[in-house]
Amino acid sequence: MFTYFGGRTVGKGTYWNLSSGERVDVNENATLPGTSADRYMKLPAGTVFIAGPVAGFAFALVIPFLFLLITLMLLSRTADASSDAALSDEAQACLNCHATPGMTMTFKDKSTQSVHVDQGQFKNTVHGFLSCTGCHSDVSLDTHPQAQYASKHEFLLHLASACRTCHADEQVMANPLHQRAITRANAPPCSECHGSHAIRKVPTQKEKLSSSQYCLTCHKQQLTKSINGESVSLTINEGGLRASVHGKHACTDCHTAYSKEFHPNPKFSSVRELSITASETCKRCHLDKAVQHNGSIHKMLLSQGNSKAPVCSDCHGSHQVGPHALADTLSGVPCKKCHQDIFSAYEGSVHGVARKDGKGQAPICSSCHFAHDVKPTMASRSPKEMCMSCHAQVVAQHEKWLPNTLAHFDAVACTACHVPAGYKRNIYLRVTDGSSGMMLSDTVVRTLLETGKAAASGSGARNISPDQLWDLYRNMNKSRTVSMAGVVNLDDQRHAHHLAPKMQAVRQCEYCHSANSAFFQSVSMAVAKPDGTEKLYKVDAAALSSVFAMLPLNQFYVLGGTRLKVMDYLGAAMILGGIAVPVVHGTLRMLTARLRRARQRH
Amino acid sequence: MKKRTYLQPLPVRLWHWINALCFFVLIATGAQIRYRDALNLMTFRSAVDIHNIFGFVLLGNFLVWAFYYLVTRKLKIYIPDPNLKNFVLAALKQARYYGYGIFLGEPNPHHATPDHKFNPMQQVAYFNIMLLFMPLQIVSGILMWDIKRFTTVIAFVGGIKFVDAVHVFLTLFFTAFLFVHVYLASLGHPWTQHIKAMFTGYEDEPEDAHAHH
Repeated sequence: MFTYFGGRTVGKGTYWNLSSGERVDVNENATLPGTSADRYMKLPAGTVFIAGPVAGFAFALVIPFLFLLITLMLLSRTADASSDAALSDEAQACLNCHATPGMTMTFKDKSTQSVHVDQGQFKNTVHGFLSCTGCHSDVSLDTHPQAQYASKHEFLLHLASACRTCHADEQVMANPLHQRAITRANAPPCSECHGSHAIRKVPTQKEKLSSSQYCLTCHKQQLTKSINGESVSLTINEGGLRASVHGKHACTDCHTAYSKEFHPNPKFSSVRELSITASETCKRCHLDKAVQHNGSIHKMLLSQGNSKAPVCSDCHGSHQVGPHALADTLSGVPCKKCHQDIFSAYEGSVHGVARKDGKGQAPICSSCHFAHDVKPTMASRSPKEMCMSCHAQVVAQHEKWLPNTLAHFDAVACTACHVPAGYKRNIYLRVTDGSSGMMLSDTVVRTLLETGKAAASGSGARNISPDQLWDLYRNMNKSRTVSMAGVVNLDDQRHAHHLAPKMQAVRQCEYCHSANSAFFQSVSMAVAKPDGTEKLYKVDAAALSSVFAMLPLNQFYVLGGTRLKVMDYLGAAMILGGIAVPVVHGTLRMLTARLRRARQRH
Repeated sequence: MKKRTYLQPLPVRLWHWINALCFFVLIATGAQIRYRDALNLMTFRSAVDIHNIFGFVLLGNFLVWAFYYLVTRKLKIYIPDPNLKNFVLAALKQARYYGYGIFLGEPNPHHATPDHKFNPMQQVAYFNIMLLFMPLQIVSGILMWDIKRFTTVIAFVGGIKFVDAVHVFLTLFFTAFLFVHVYLASLGHPWTQHIKAMFTGYEDEPEDAHAHH
């Protein structure tokens, strides 16, 4: 309001140019010199005598004083930070003892806890401004040490209550991790994750730690999670993890949804569901194995709702995945976890014994069944290619003594002879569609069984009789050409693991080539279930030698073993007929001999 | 003076007895292969090996027979009279002899000569045996000798079970026929007349065989 500009007409008064200090006295209305950039203040000349000393005093006294004050404050802060002198007498008293490294406290249950405090370290923590009794409020210098705790855990729980004096429920529970950890019955004390005297501000703590170390802050502790009453450990054995094949990976490489900033809290209905879900992460790197597993019997069982079927972690473990070679050793093979009975049989087999004797090329589970692509057992399909992948000379070796070796190889599974004869055999009639060569679907067979002659006679649980088999075959052939190839194999495929040394193999032809053979006492018809596994229907063993099976089983015949019964009766009739001719004719000639002699005489 | 006819030339006699031996061995080993549960003459393996060997001997022998009869153009003795009326009448005459006349001592209406060795009934029987049953028996045997090699053929003709059934059925026929064959061979005069001829080649004409009255 007292400011005027050059070039403007002003009234009477004294004007001071603020930039040049020039004084302009105006008596009548006049124009101030200069442009609008020149600013003037209207002030009576006398006021200069008052304003001058006031400004001078302020400059001489107040401003230096303020400067001094600031300097002193800065100096005092530096002094505070670099000197022990700031410790209270009380803290100093505590540290007289507790600064001693290795100082421990022993509880009633003989557990111990370090009570050493590194003063320097503590001062730099988030709680550095506190004095000892700020937390240890119940410790009195007069009576200390006094308190007795049953265990280390009880002691730590007691101390945790001190944290809650300042850190109220609202603050603590704002963190979802705390919500889960604290509401549990066996909630860990605060110090379990945060430490005790070395607590830093959360951002500082995160910044200093690698992501894995950050995870391990909590997960190296005894952590468990309860899922519908089942308990699962969330504790990571860091040493084991580092020694595993994934030792160089960060936690977040697999647990991709997790980070220093974000820790989801997924809900599972069971511990098993957690394992199955967790194994999904493996395919991020091991996609090829996951694809193989997708085609396996294990995955099939899993998708059928059998949660016991194995996923990655069941065989490989989760955080302590061993090297590949480990799974190929007798002690490390994971299959026996579920298939112990089969593994025991294998251990006693020629292959298992060879392994035990250090012959590394002897097959182990995965050699025949593969590791990830474990296929369902197909009793009707002899897996001889598997055997021959190692026993390459096997055809030549058998041809030395076994006539029609290849015909035998087509119809007889390796195990049918190479497993001791005591184990029951079965004849599998594999029904295939002639045009596609694929195994016939069970749905076709089931429909026919439900509507055909078999249903009429109420076959149900009973074996399919020879005439039912004929009826079934006739109906199957109405809209396609089917064939039933017979294969001799073990009745129970698990027994295949009892493979014996070749000296004990069935070598006598008579084992099979006799109607009395024990190998033809049981027959099954094999068709394909929608999931690719085999559906077996029991067939009356009489079908093998029944005239009704002449066409259905026209591809399965064992000389002397499965001869047609009806031919026996026909044969007996024909030969008796042949004998009857001389007997009857000869008798008649004897009876008529006198007649001839009489005629001759005549 | 006895009249002698050279009825069985050497090749025929050789073929006949080799064939007989093969039949005997093949029937025995075949029975052993099929009836392991009832017979124990030898091991299954030996039975199979012997059966295979004699099967091929039989095949070779059959080819010798076929060659001989084709080259000598004597195959016509196996072929019935193309004149159906004549053939049926002659066959009925022969059947009447075996079923009636023989008991009364009537002469055999057929007189065997080298060019007309078989009576009409024999012609029918041996025509079928030599030109139908024997080839079928040999072929089915070969198919079963190596079922892997002949998989497609076996499947084409109806499966291994069918091939086996044919082979066994023919065996049963041959076995039954053997009894009839041997018996009929003993109906000469004297009873060794035809049998001797198969050893010596010559058949003696009985002096009064055709003149009983």
